[in-house]
Amino acid sequence: MTCQDARPLLLAFQRGQLAAEPRGAIEAHIQDCAACAHEAAAEQLLTEALEHRLPQHAAPIALKRRLLAEWPAETRRASSWWHRWGRSFVPALAVAAGLLVAVPVYYQWDAGSRTPGMVTEAVNDHLRILSSQHPLDIESGGMHQVKPWFQGRLDFAPVVPFLGDAEFPLRGGAVGYYLERKAAVFVFTRRLHEISLFVFRAAGLPWPTTGRQAVGGARATITTSRGFNVILWREGELGYALVSDVDVPELSQLAAKLAGGA
Amino acid sequence: MASSDESTSGETLGREALAYADTLYNLARYLTGSPTDAEDLVQDTYARALKSARQFTPGTNLKAWLFRILRNSFISRYRHERHNPIVGGLDTVDPTAQGPDRQEWLRDDLELDRLRHVVGEEIERALMTLSEDARTVVLLDLEGLSEVEVAQVVGCAVGTVKSRLARARAALRLTLKDYTRKATR
Repeated sequence: MTCQDARPLLLAFQRGQLAAEPRGAIEAHIQDCAACAHEAAAEQLLTEALEHRLPQHAAPIALKRRLLAEWPAETRRASSWWHRWGRSFVPALAVAAGLLVAVPVYYQWDAGSRTPGMVTEAVNDHLRILSSQHPLDIESGGMHQVKPWFQGRLDFAPVVPFLGDAEFPLRGGAVGYYLERKAAVFVFTRRLHEISLFVFRAAGLPWPTTGRQAVGGARATITTSRGFNVILWREGELGYALVSDVDVPELSQLAAKLAGGA
Repeated sequence: MASSDESTSGETLGREALAYADTLYNLARYLTGSPTDAEDLVQDTYARALKSARQFTPGTNLKAWLFRILRNSFISRYRHERHNPIVGGLDTVDPTAQGPDRQEWLRDDLELDRLRHVVGEEIERALMTLSEDARTVVLLDLEGLSEVEVAQVVGCAVGTVKSRLARARAALRLTLKDYTRKATR
């Protein structure tokens, strides 16, 4: 076997796709030929790099949810397909829906009560902070100290333009979770009340499109749940949830500062 | 009974098709180079797959079938709008350009050692320098599709797949070699 014969077969050889005879011939050739041995090594290294180090991009949950939401509509339009295949897809879609969208569906807005799952989650997370003996990972020496602390702890940079002031001093920060995703948690105070701000990736959440009002530079939703006031808004790729038992005008005042409008 | 069989195969098809969302999105990301375009492409792919579900032959490779739909969708929707780093496909690359340089590199154990340490970002960047055809063949090969299946997806002869894959891999190695050279300067 010559180098010219061996080179095109190296990949198939390394993948175990060759019959015994050519496999043996290539093995023997590589033993004797330094150039082809190097070629085989390079091919093997490239395969390893592609298989183990090439970044794999997973489909966003929002896309998966959208696929599931749109398929039934698609099948209604394609009636001939629906008669043959569509109905049989329903159980599969139901199973997949359970797997893919259980969390987002659980947190969808309850239009009747206007108490959204996002609000419920924000209140629960705020209560966890209040009841925790060590709610803060970093005590505040000011926002300039708190914000850099998040570097390397989150896969995004929390954008918080308000640094705290005498009316709303910043107590500190922590890494928490909001709706199954990492969140930067900032805790402000107002007199004896604590105010939690959760900053998180906004994509894939059931953000309301109606009933919003201007709060600072943002369009926000203000809701009351279990005695707590919750202000939700999004800015670019980030979402914000501000929670406290301080009254709505005062909480809105802080939200306006955080949203860059005051 | 036939209806039950049909129903069962339909359920299986639906479940399996959804299970490939990540794989399809990954291919779409590398084809379009854009998260937004990739989402649109995958969504379009599933819509087309549903419309043409009758054309799928049970027992054949569903993943390859979905890849073919995705690629056709990509060509019809995006390719004409985009500028390709290698217009006309990798087949237009002059193979003689890889001659003595490649030999020099392959004989150099130091370069091989550097190849062992290339990082994901460099590999991704190198992959994106390939033509869409070449990138597709590399990615489908990584997904474990046979040469016959890759040929069906991209609509060419098996021999063409072999040569495209070989040239694409050679081009990747040359590009990665350049990165390692630059990194050591």
